[in-house]
Amino acid sequence: MSKEIFVFVECKDGSIRKVSYELLSKAKEISQKSSSIVYAVIIGSNQDVLANQLKDFADKVLIVDNEKLSKYRWDTFLSVMEQIIKKYKPYVMFGPSTTTGKDIFPRLAARLNGAIISDAVDVVFDENTLKIKKPLFGGKIISWMKCKDDSTFFVTFRPNSFIVENRSLNGELIKENIDVSEDSRIVSISTEKRETKKVDLQEADFIICGGRGMKGPEHFQDLEEIADIMGGRVGASRAVVDSKWRDYDDQVGKSGKTVSPKLYVGCGVSGALHHTMGMDTSKVIVAINKDPNALIFQYADYGIIDDVFNVLPALKEELKKIKKEI
Amino acid sequence: MNILVCVKQVADTEARILLTSDKKSIEIENKYNMNFFDEFAVEEAIRTKGKVKDCQISVCTYGSNKATEVLRTAIAMGADKAYLLDNNGYDIEDPIITAKILASFAKTEGFDLIFCGRQAIDDENANIGAMMAEFLNIPHVSAILKFDVVDEKKARVESEIEGGKEIQEVQLPALFTTQKGINEPRVPLITGVMKAMKAQINIIDPATLKDLSKGMIDESASKISVLTYETPSARPTVKIIDGETPEQKVKALIDILKDEAKAL
Ligand SMILES: Cc1cc2nc3c(=O)[nH]c(=O)nc-3n(C[C@H](O)[C@H](O)[C@H](O)COP(=O)(O)OP(=O)(O)OC[C@H]3O[C@@H](n4cnc5c(N)ncnc54)[C@H](O)[C@@H]3O)c2cc1C
Repeated sequence: MSKEIFVFVECKDGSIRKVSYELLSKAKEISQKSSSIVYAVIIGSNQDVLANQLKDFADKVLIVDNEKLSKYRWDTFLSVMEQIIKKYKPYVMFGPSTTTGKDIFPRLAARLNGAIISDAVDVVFDENTLKIKKPLFGGKIISWMKCKDDSTFFVTFRPNSFIVENRSLNGELIKENIDVSEDSRIVSISTEKRETKKVDLQEADFIICGGRGMKGPEHFQDLEEIADIMGGRVGASRAVVDSKWRDYDDQVGKSGKTVSPKLYVGCGVSGALHHTMGMDTSKVIVAINKDPNALIFQYADYGIIDDVFNVLPALKEELKKIKKEI
Repeated sequence: MNILVCVKQVADTEARILLTSDKKSIEIENKYNMNFFDEFAVEEAIRTKGKVKDCQISVCTYGSNKATEVLRTAIAMGADKAYLLDNNGYDIEDPIITAKILASFAKTEGFDLIFCGRQAIDDENANIGAMMAEFLNIPHVSAILKFDVVDEKKARVESEIEGGKEIQEVQLPALFTTQKGINEPRVPLITGVMKAMKAQINIIDPATLKDLSKGMIDESASKISVLTYETPSARPTVKIIDGETPEQKVKALIDILKDEAKAL
């Protein structure tokens, strides 16, 4: 059986998403144990520069370049992936559990009658099997799963599940000539992109999250400034989003986004279960809350019991200093 | 117009969830709800019914007898007919099988419009909608934020895409998964609840559906299996940072984050 690991590379606004490098890094680690090789699959239009950036992260880079692929659509991308998989018959394909990954991977698995495990957080190669770790019930239970037969196996992983390892594989670039078919039943009328240079919430290494304790939308400016200093993002609790202080895009939690940054700082967030389920996989959690009994202190590594408005100015100054040191 | 809404009964977020001692199965406290994102799907179907003529809403779930509760909730909200695709108490791990069963049911009945929730909040898979659409060979749009029927054969939707939104026109029949923000799901009125209590739930054995057989949907057909379950390791107790003033606390925090946690 072939043991090749394929990674679907997701691009956004003309660059490769960090999650793609994370998946390539993990794939390479697994491939070294299973003596196989890693293929990066990049689909789009005018991808030469990007494909070159992937060279050091994969043994082979498959490039599908077609102007019909300049914008993601499941129908066109699916037709390409289907042909690639039929041609190379990989053992497994990794993808990101992002808006795009969640849109295309299930349909792809169904079309190819494959096996799929979605929204995983880890993978190990052990006893000649890929064992996939996937949290259930908002992290109350962890499951380890595997694919039972030799169907093509698809696994999507949450962003920030793996560390990016810089390698110098100098992989081979291979251009694939593939016909792209479009589903004429769907017509795009218009797209609207949020004008932002900020990192994606799920990919951010640093998140400062505001809760109802922030008192009003105007105070999120302080959080924005801190996020900018740290190159991170502002998150929000549902109470904040429901009050229209912030967009739904910022919502952390069960009915928002699941995040695992290196550092999460909760400001005036009570730590309700629906919220913590979306952030308790963060590497380090800091909570700032004036109520010593706030639930969030049960999840936090470090806590400051104080009025958030007294803490934020000092926090901003100290973080500024640190960034200057580096 | 015939609308189908697929719903799932999920454990309440507050429900206690335990592992059996052999770590091979899960025990869930008896607290269940309709999946959060499915409420938007039911609501959107009801709103659509209010805008087109001769419209009927069917709601279905693949689950155990207990799952009839969510079907009744959907009826209480305003759905017309309910179908339980009975799993005989056996939870299948493989989402492809669930999607095949739902798709086969949809094929048997014939629908113009199918709504599903964006994802289930218990397994966070976000698989079923797109898979069903593939098995039915109809288009799908994930995570929709606005929905309008243009005419009998066309819908116009706004959906969430990476870093923004997109407006598309889609030929029907088609499948849409609903995202939070599309509507405010109604709380059933008491008259709705009364009606739902009396409503007939159609129970179907999936093996009798079109193109399906027992061997295609039982455990032997599942392509994935669970090796083991674990409980997550508990987080260490919080360290409260002391200090006379907020400034001192912040300084101490920064030192710890730098030296101990290596998070800066
Ligand atoms: C089905 C469902 C899904 C949900 N999904 C989500 C979700 O995805 N994400 C989510 O976040 N929630 C979700 N919730 C809501 C969740 O249960 C909580 O209601 C919500 O997280 C509370 O938000 P909060 O912490 O901002 O507000 P509150 O609970 O009101 O807490 C505010 C906190 O701020 C503190 N505070 C106030 N003033 C100050 C001050 N000056 N300085 C310091 N601290 C201060 C208070 O002590 C308090 O702890 C969901 C609920 C349901 C039912």
